[in-house]
Amino acid sequence: MAQTTARTRRLTVVAQDPAVCTEQGRILCVPAEIPAEALDPGPWGHRVQVIDFDATTNQLLAPLDAGAYLDRAGNLIDPFDKASDRTILTDPQFHAQNVYATVTQTLARFERSLGRRVNWGFPGHQLRVAPHAFADANAFYAPNERALFFGYFTGQHNRTIFTCLSHDVVTHETTHALLDGIRTRFTDPSSPDQAAFHEGFADCVALLSVFAQREVVEKALQISAREKNLRMTKVQRGDQPLIPVDALTRDSLAESVLLGLADEMGRELSAVRGSALRRSVELEASKTILDTPEFTEPHRRGEVLVAAVMQSFLEVWATRLDSLRRYGSFLNVNRVAEEGCAAADYLLTMLIRSLDYTPPVHLQFGDFLSAVLTADVEVRDDDGPYQYRASLLSRFAAFGIRPASPGTTQQPGVWARSSVVETTNERSHFDALQHDPDEVFAFVWENREALKFSKDAYTRVLSVRPCVRVGPDGFVLRETVAEVMQRIDVTAGELASLGVKRPRGMTAPTPVTLNGGSTLIFDEYGRLKFEIHNDILDKKRQSARLQYLFDSGYFDGDTAAFRPFAEMHRRRSVSAAVPHQGW
Amino acid sequence: MAKKTAGAAAPTGMTLHAYQVGFGDCFLLAFHYKTARDRHVLIDFGSTGLPPTAPKNQMTLIAQDIAAICGGTLDAVVLSHRHRDHMSGFETNAKHNGPGDIIRGLNPKLVVQPWTEDPKAKKDATEPTKAPKGDAVRIASLEAQRLAIQNVVAEAQILAATGTGDRDQRALQSVVDEGMEGILNASAVKNLQSMAPADKHRYVFHGSASGLGGVLPGVTVSVLGPPTLKQSSAIRKERPSDPAEFWMLEDLDRLFWKAQAMNARFLTRSTKANGNKGPFPKARVMRNVPSYARWFIPRARAARANELLGIVRILDKEMNNTSVILLLEVGSARLLFPGDAQIENWELTLQEKTLMNRLAGVTFYKVGHHGSRNATPRSLWNGFTNRSKQKRPTRLRTVVSTMAGKFGAAARHTEVPRTTLVTALKDETDFFTTQQLTQKGHTLKQTIEFTF
Repeated sequence: MAQTTARTRRLTVVAQDPAVCTEQGRILCVPAEIPAEALDPGPWGHRVQVIDFDATTNQLLAPLDAGAYLDRAGNLIDPFDKASDRTILTDPQFHAQNVYATVTQTLARFERSLGRRVNWGFPGHQLRVAPHAFADANAFYAPNERALFFGYFTGQHNRTIFTCLSHDVVTHETTHALLDGIRTRFTDPSSPDQAAFHEGFADCVALLSVFAQREVVEKALQISAREKNLRMTKVQRGDQPLIPVDALTRDSLAESVLLGLADEMGRELSAVRGSALRRSVELEASKTILDTPEFTEPHRRGEVLVAAVMQSFLEVWATRLDSLRRYGSFLNVNRVAEEGCAAADYLLTMLIRSLDYTPPVHLQFGDFLSAVLTADVEVRDDDGPYQYRASLLSRFAAFGIRPASPGTTQQPGVWARSSVVETTNERSHFDALQHDPDEVFAFVWENREALKFSKDAYTRVLSVRPCVRVGPDGFVLRETVAEVMQRIDVTAGELASLGVKRPRGMTAPTPVTLNGGSTLIFDEYGRLKFEIHNDILDKKRQSARLQYLFDSGYFDGDTAAFRPFAEMHRRRSVSAAVPHQGW
Repeated sequence: MAKKTAGAAAPTGMTLHAYQVGFGDCFLLAFHYKTARDRHVLIDFGSTGLPPTAPKNQMTLIAQDIAAICGGTLDAVVLSHRHRDHMSGFETNAKHNGPGDIIRGLNPKLVVQPWTEDPKAKKDATEPTKAPKGDAVRIASLEAQRLAIQNVVAEAQILAATGTGDRDQRALQSVVDEGMEGILNASAVKNLQSMAPADKHRYVFHGSASGLGGVLPGVTVSVLGPPTLKQSSAIRKERPSDPAEFWMLEDLDRLFWKAQAMNARFLTRSTKANGNKGPFPKARVMRNVPSYARWFIPRARAARANELLGIVRILDKEMNNTSVILLLEVGSARLLFPGDAQIENWELTLQEKTLMNRLAGVTFYKVGHHGSRNATPRSLWNGFTNRSKQKRPTRLRTVVSTMAGKFGAAARHTEVPRTTLVTALKDETDFFTTQQLTQKGHTLKQTIEFTF
């Protein structure tokens, strides 16, 4: 087969979902730009393998031949370029392409932000994707099956709804798989925040990815203009479509663009995707919201995170519009859309980069906020004219989420620089420290006291990842991120000797595992820059965590609340009762 | 609310037969009159697990005992809700000698069930052309759930038949067991629907007439639950915290089941039309599974089996809140039978002051949901004025039909019966649990006498 040296290629995908249409009423599609690679039938690339097996019908559908994507002359082909709506809806091979391209695009987005390869959260290199996995209104990431499963179901007028055709649903599930690779312990039973984080973060990435597509933002603005009866296309200067400034405040963008798109999105899919977008507008900010029983439920709690992020997005977008050229009281719609995409895209990068600055275990929302701020400060000292960090700080604060670290006067909320003066740095090997877990472990061992690692615990380096980040000024930041985890297995009866409170009613022989650890970030000279530490013997945190797990039923085998993503997603679509007046 | 049979002579007493059904409920109420014959009402008859000491034909023995006591005629049958532990005894068999056949032979004059079981309402509500509103929405949702479970069970059977290896067999078997027998209860449902003449079925809701007043002279019977959709929405609107959220959840809930049900119909159609070819009847199917897919396919099937099981379990939990809650009043005696109602079902009642005042005077309480932690609302319990740490003639009497060790765990505070609740019942009421029957060796039932 002829080779091509192209680095990227374009494949047609559905921009959001088949319910979001162009002005002409056709399904809004976009060419997704993704890294080019040698594809086998599936499509089957080096990180993603589409296997179109349907468990409900017990059928394996045939993929397109490899020749469909690469001709004999070595040219990359998009077999569904200008595909008809009928093909988009009814051709399973287009669906296979749609999931392949969207998953690959999300993976590439993570790798670009983090400046390195990102592994999946399971052994192996290739994530299986079943675009028509079963007849059911559900879609989920299944780590044991090393796969993403997308269901299909019947909607109104007997139309079949394919979850694999929804950009946000596919991106959401892919994010679970990626997050699981970056922080494997975030699926551990821990705190309500950690239980909610996977969902909330996956929603944030999915929604910001949707708004980072210009075609979709333009569409959302059109809807908003139509809703407001503005007849946007009539208001023009030369060939520039305009939109009135008063339709572009933070609040009106929330009302029109976010809710507008939420309405436009395939309604029947809300049984699958939940209503995170709608709720990010409707959820009233309250500093005590996370203390209410309702928002202890993981999927509800995750919505708070989404609301804080999406409201920051609107704030930044509105700020960015201030610098645009005005035509009387109007702005150019295309420019408005561009600014929206730029804001979404930048925020998305911030959020993804933050993952490297999160602790390896027991994440809480405040840790996440500090991680986001730190990740950004590291590549960009100044918050700039658009105030991304200030917006995040204020929107998170409105929901009662404060950064875990106080930060400095200039940089509020960022992690403190490591104060550990390593006495034994001389024994470290700089090169190996960038990739070798044993070398990092040697460093930890030598400095275990200064790093406040418990001597009694089992300690393991989970990962060592060198990464390269490019700041807006073009300069390159090189770092090495290592996750170190500690674990102690005790019985509940022994907790008191560690100063950890045993939940009332927990019997003394109950086996209990305590986790802790640090994310160590080394600078380009191999010096320790940050140690984001979760002390395994933090009495307060461990007591609270055990109490939460005990109350949630973790210790009696009813681990439903901690089951993998399938269960979580089903819970998102059916109301879960919050027991009160109970015994 | 209450339907009173004017002028009828009130009963002078009642014998409550609490049967040993292990984990389940079965109560026969025999009302005694001075000058008239006894009247018999059977409230629930089901079990999901008998104690090891019980004979295999326990359910038949119970049915025969009921037949003997009521002298061949039952005045009424009440099914609190469609769960196996409340209705398995109504199952019939091919030889027509199952416990359900015996009860059927007692020709009940009235059958009372929750409004959500009304077969007529279901038919109307599933008409796709009519926009379902109010109660119909809930019925549509429940009907959707039923269809969904049928579908799930059918799919599990197909999956099992394709021989997917032992990886998913256990999950598939659980789907069939829990879905088919635990929720669908086809034979028992059919038996109850046709047990009495068409006009002798009552499908009741909060505030509706039960029809029991007609068969129990001198007894005032009030239906406190389940609420209709409209009623529970009204309650939800009055909640201080964000009413919109409940609407959204309600909406999502409905969407979920609707999608499941539409799937069921779609699959039935596509199976009939094209031999289960799914959404792409014309697509090219790979007959020989290529080696690269051989690791994956059994795992995909297993994931699906677990998915099906999850759906069955969600529905199972929802069913408790369709329980009929009955309050029977004779003079100053007030007898409360709440089925398995949990807090969502109770909510409407808890907000009505006059009702709560009447409930304060309850003299007998059938402990809700086998003594689980969510079925005896604290405010209801706190309101009971006949609770007393001291023994006295007017002390509240309570009975729980239960079997410890089947559900939940003490470590998590979810054990059924809940220890803290049982302690309170023991300390402050004249308490009886059907578990005491097992302790005495095998005993069919406990009888408790009431005089009015």
